[in-house]
Amino acid sequence: MLFHTWPFLVFLLVVLPVFFALRKTRLWIPWLMAASYFFYGWWNPYYLILVVYSTTLDFFLVALMDHCPNEVGNVNVLERLTRFRFDDGVLRAAFVVSILATVTILAWATAGPATLRPALAFLGLVFLLMALGSLFSNRRIWLLISVVNNLALLLFFKYAHFVVENLNFTLSWLHTTSRLPEPATLMPFGFTYLLPVGISFFTFQSLSYTIDFYFGKVERERNFLRFATFVCFFPQLMAGPIERAKHLLPQFRTFPPIRLENFTDGLSLFLVGLFKKLALANYLSFYVERVYDNPKAFGAPALMLATFAFAWQIFFDFSGYTDMARGVARLMGFNLILNFNNPYLATGLGDFWSRWHISLSTWFRDYVYIPLGGSKHGAFKTYRNLFITFLVSGLWHGAAWTYVIWGLLHALGVMITRELERSGFYRDRVPKLVKQIAVFIFVCFAWIFFRADSLSDATLIVNRLFTAAWQDPAIPVLMLALTGLVWLYQFLHESRFNEWLKTGLVRVSLAVFMLLYLCLFSSGGGTFIYFQF
Amino acid sequence: MSEEKGPSIPQALFVNEVRLTGRQWALAALIVLAIAWLTPVLWARLERFQTGPDYRIPYSLSKDYWLYERRLRESSASQPVVVLGDSVVWGEYVLPDGTWSHFLNQQSDASKKFINSGVNGLFPLALEGLVRYYGGALRNRQIILHCNVLWMSSPKADLQTSKEEKFNHSRLVPQFSPRIPCYKADDNERLGIIAERNLTFLAWIAHLQNAYFDQKSILAWTLEDDGNDPPHYPNCYKNPLAQISVAVPSAPVEDPERGPKSPRHKPWFEGGNKPAAFEFVELDSSLQWGAFQRLVKLLQDRGNRVFVVLGPFNEHFVADESRAGYQKVHDGVARWLEKNQVPHWSPEALPSELYADASHPLTAGYELLARRTWQKAEFQRWLQTPYGLTRFTNSVNSE
Repeated sequence: MLFHTWPFLVFLLVVLPVFFALRKTRLWIPWLMAASYFFYGWWNPYYLILVVYSTTLDFFLVALMDHCPNEVGNVNVLERLTRFRFDDGVLRAAFVVSILATVTILAWATAGPATLRPALAFLGLVFLLMALGSLFSNRRIWLLISVVNNLALLLFFKYAHFVVENLNFTLSWLHTTSRLPEPATLMPFGFTYLLPVGISFFTFQSLSYTIDFYFGKVERERNFLRFATFVCFFPQLMAGPIERAKHLLPQFRTFPPIRLENFTDGLSLFLVGLFKKLALANYLSFYVERVYDNPKAFGAPALMLATFAFAWQIFFDFSGYTDMARGVARLMGFNLILNFNNPYLATGLGDFWSRWHISLSTWFRDYVYIPLGGSKHGAFKTYRNLFITFLVSGLWHGAAWTYVIWGLLHALGVMITRELERSGFYRDRVPKLVKQIAVFIFVCFAWIFFRADSLSDATLIVNRLFTAAWQDPAIPVLMLALTGLVWLYQFLHESRFNEWLKTGLVRVSLAVFMLLYLCLFSSGGGTFIYFQF
Repeated sequence: MSEEKGPSIPQALFVNEVRLTGRQWALAALIVLAIAWLTPVLWARLERFQTGPDYRIPYSLSKDYWLYERRLRESSASQPVVVLGDSVVWGEYVLPDGTWSHFLNQQSDASKKFINSGVNGLFPLALEGLVRYYGGALRNRQIILHCNVLWMSSPKADLQTSKEEKFNHSRLVPQFSPRIPCYKADDNERLGIIAERNLTFLAWIAHLQNAYFDQKSILAWTLEDDGNDPPHYPNCYKNPLAQISVAVPSAPVEDPERGPKSPRHKPWFEGGNKPAAFEFVELDSSLQWGAFQRLVKLLQDRGNRVFVVLGPFNEHFVADESRAGYQKVHDGVARWLEKNQVPHWSPEALPSELYADASHPLTAGYELLARRTWQKAEFQRWLQTPYGLTRFTNSVNSE
C-alpha cells in the first residue's frame, strides 16, 4: 500500500478514528500493530512471516540478554551441562528449549522434504547458538545471534543472487564444473524468491535495538506488542526513516496528546510529500527513463540533464515518501526523525551525508564507522573506516557493482572534501555557492552509477557525456521551470528572505498551489525508488 | 557518513516550513473547494461548444464524460427525444448526416427533435455507468434506448472471461459489484475512478485532457513523442496552457474513416466475410443484459419515458448453427420487455447489403430503419403520448 494511493486513504480513514477512539483503553497499541501488519501484508501476506520472526527473535534475545551478567565471569559449563545448575531459571529454560528445538528441527530437516532443509538448517543454527548463549550466560552471544539472524535475512533475500552469480562466474572462469544453487531453489513451501519490501529498513531498526541494549543505551522493552509496533510501525515500515528505539519506543508508552497542531503539521508534511512525489518525482522519472533506458540514442546535453533530473527525482521521491511518513505519524501524535535537510545545498560531501537520508547515515556512523574506530586512530585508519562504511552503504542500497562504485565514489568525495577543508583557502576563500555547486555536480556524477541499469551502461553514459554530440535534449520547459522553482525556494529558505516565506499568505498560497497542481497536473501512480532497498 | 562529532539526529519537524496553522488550513481548503466548485460551472459558460442538429460527440472525445453531461444538459431546453446507445446509435461507419437520429429528424419534419446521444465504443455495462454518473440531465425526457444483442453474443463480448481484457470505457463499468471477471484494474485505479465519478472537478480535468492534451495528463503531454524513429518531442518547449483554446474541438470535416466515400462504408460481405458462428450467452448469467435491465429501471426511475428498440441485428451474418442461440437471446430480451411493460419494438432485419458488419447499418440502412421506426404504430403512440409512463416494477440488481 502506497501513501499516494486511494486504498491508503481508505486505510487511514479507518485506522485513525479507531486509534483515537481507543485512546482511553490499552488497545491502541494492539490496534496500531494490527494496522501495521495489515499495511505490510497488503503487499504480500507471506512476507509478514519475516517481520514477525525477526521481531519475535530480537524481543526474546534482548530479554535473555537481560538475564545475563554485564561482565563475563567464570561459568562452570560442565556443571551446567551435567546438573542443569544455572544461576538463572530463565536461562536454564532457554537452554532446554533451545536444545529441544535444535534436535527437533534437525530431525525434521533430515526426515522432511528437501525444499525445507535450507530454512530448517538455518533455524537449527539459530537455536544452537541460543543454547550456547544460555550455557555461557554471555550477552555477546545473544548480540551475535541477533546480528547474524538479521544480516542473514538481508543477505539471503537481497544479496544471495548477486553473490551466487559472481561466484558461479568465478567458478566458470576457473574452469570448474561445480556451481552454487540459485537462491530461488532454497525457498520453502514453493514461495517465490522476492525481495521483501522494506527488509533493509525493518531489519536495521530491529538490529539497532539489540545493539543499543547491549551497549546499555536503551532499556529493555518488556511489552512484546509495543516492541512489535516499534519494528513495524506502518508510516515508516517500508522506507524509513530508520528509527531508534530510544526515540520511538518511549512514544508508544502513553497515548500521545491530541492537539490540533498535530493534525495541521501532519497534513502540511503529507501535502508537501505528496507534491514532491506526484508532481515532481513522477514527472522527472519520465524524462530520466527515456534517456537512461537507451543512453546510446541521446547526446551529451540530454544525458547531462537526465542525470540532474535523476538527482532531483530521487530526492523528491525519497524525501517525499519520508515527509508523508512523518506526516501520517504526526497525525497520530508521533514524531519521526528528520531524514532530509536540503541535501543539495551541502557545501561538502560530509555535509551532504548529514543532510541526505540522515537516519541511515547516522545508523552507519553509530553501528559501523564508530565501532571500526571512527577518526580516532590517525588519518589512514580514518580513511579506511570511511572506505569500509561507504562500501557497506553502497551495498545496502543494492546488490550490484554499480552500487558498490557509487558508495566508493562517495567515500572518495568525503576524503577529498575532508582534506580540502583543512586548507584555510578552501575553508574561507572559496564562496559557499561554488562549494554547493561543486558538491551537487559530484553527487550527480555518482548518481549515474546508482541509476544506470548496468555497469556497462554507466560507463557508456560517462563516456558519452564527454564525447557525444550536442543535440537538442528535448527536456520539457515545464520540468526545468518546476525544478528551478524548488531549488530557488530552498535557496530562499536558507537566505535572509526566510521570514518572508513563513508568512501566512505565502504558506496558504503554496498549499493552494500544491493542491490544485496535484489535481490538474499529476499523473498519479508509480512506486517509490527506495522500496527496492 | 557524518562524523562522530557531527550533528546528532535532528529533532526538527520541518525543513522548509510549508507549515500551516488550523486557520490557514481552513482558508486553503475553502479556496480550493471554491475553485473546484466554480471552475467547471464557469468553464461551461466560457468554453465554446458548437452543436448542430446532427451533432454527435466526436470520436476523439468519446471518453470525455464531462462533455457528454454538458451536452445533455445544454440540449434539455428544447426537450428533444434522446436516442441513446452504443456505436450503432452513434454511427460507426457513417457521417453525422447518415445516422439514425438524422433520418428520424427528417421523418419528423421538425415536429419532434431527435438528438444523437450515442457514444462510440459503449456497451450496456458502460452505458449504465454513463447514465448513472454523467446522465443526471436525463430526467423527464423521452428516450429511445437501443439494445444491441451483439454484447451477449459471446462470453468475451459479455466480459465474462477470466483472462484480462482491455476494453473501451472501463472507467464507466461497475468497479466492485457486480464483479467483471476480465477487468483486472487494481484497487487504486478502481477507487480513483469512483472518486472521478463523484467529483465534478476531476471529471472536468479529464475533459481538459481529452479536449486539449490528446487524452493524456498534461505532464505526459509535454513528453509526448511523434512516433518516428528517431523520435521527436514536439511539445517539450510548448507552454501547455497555450494549448487550451477554450473551444471544444469538433469532429474533422472530412472523416476518411466514415461516410459513403470511405473504403469502410461497404456491405459486410464485400470484404469476403462469411456468416460467423456466435456463442451467445445465457441471459440469466449475462453481465451486459443485467446492466441493460438496471439501465432501463434507472431511466424510468428518473421519470423518463423509455422506448427500447431491439436490434435490428444483422441476422444474415449469423451462421446457421448459431441461429437458435441468437433467437433465444432475442426472444428472452423481448419477453422481459413485454413482461415489464416497457414500450419496445423489435424491427425485422434490414436487407443484407445495408449492414457494414454484425450490427452496424450503412447510411441507407439507417434511412430505412428510421422510416420503419417512424411508421411503427407503437412508436407513434409512445411518441405522441403526453405523459403516461408505464412503470417498471421488476426488481433488478444494481451496484
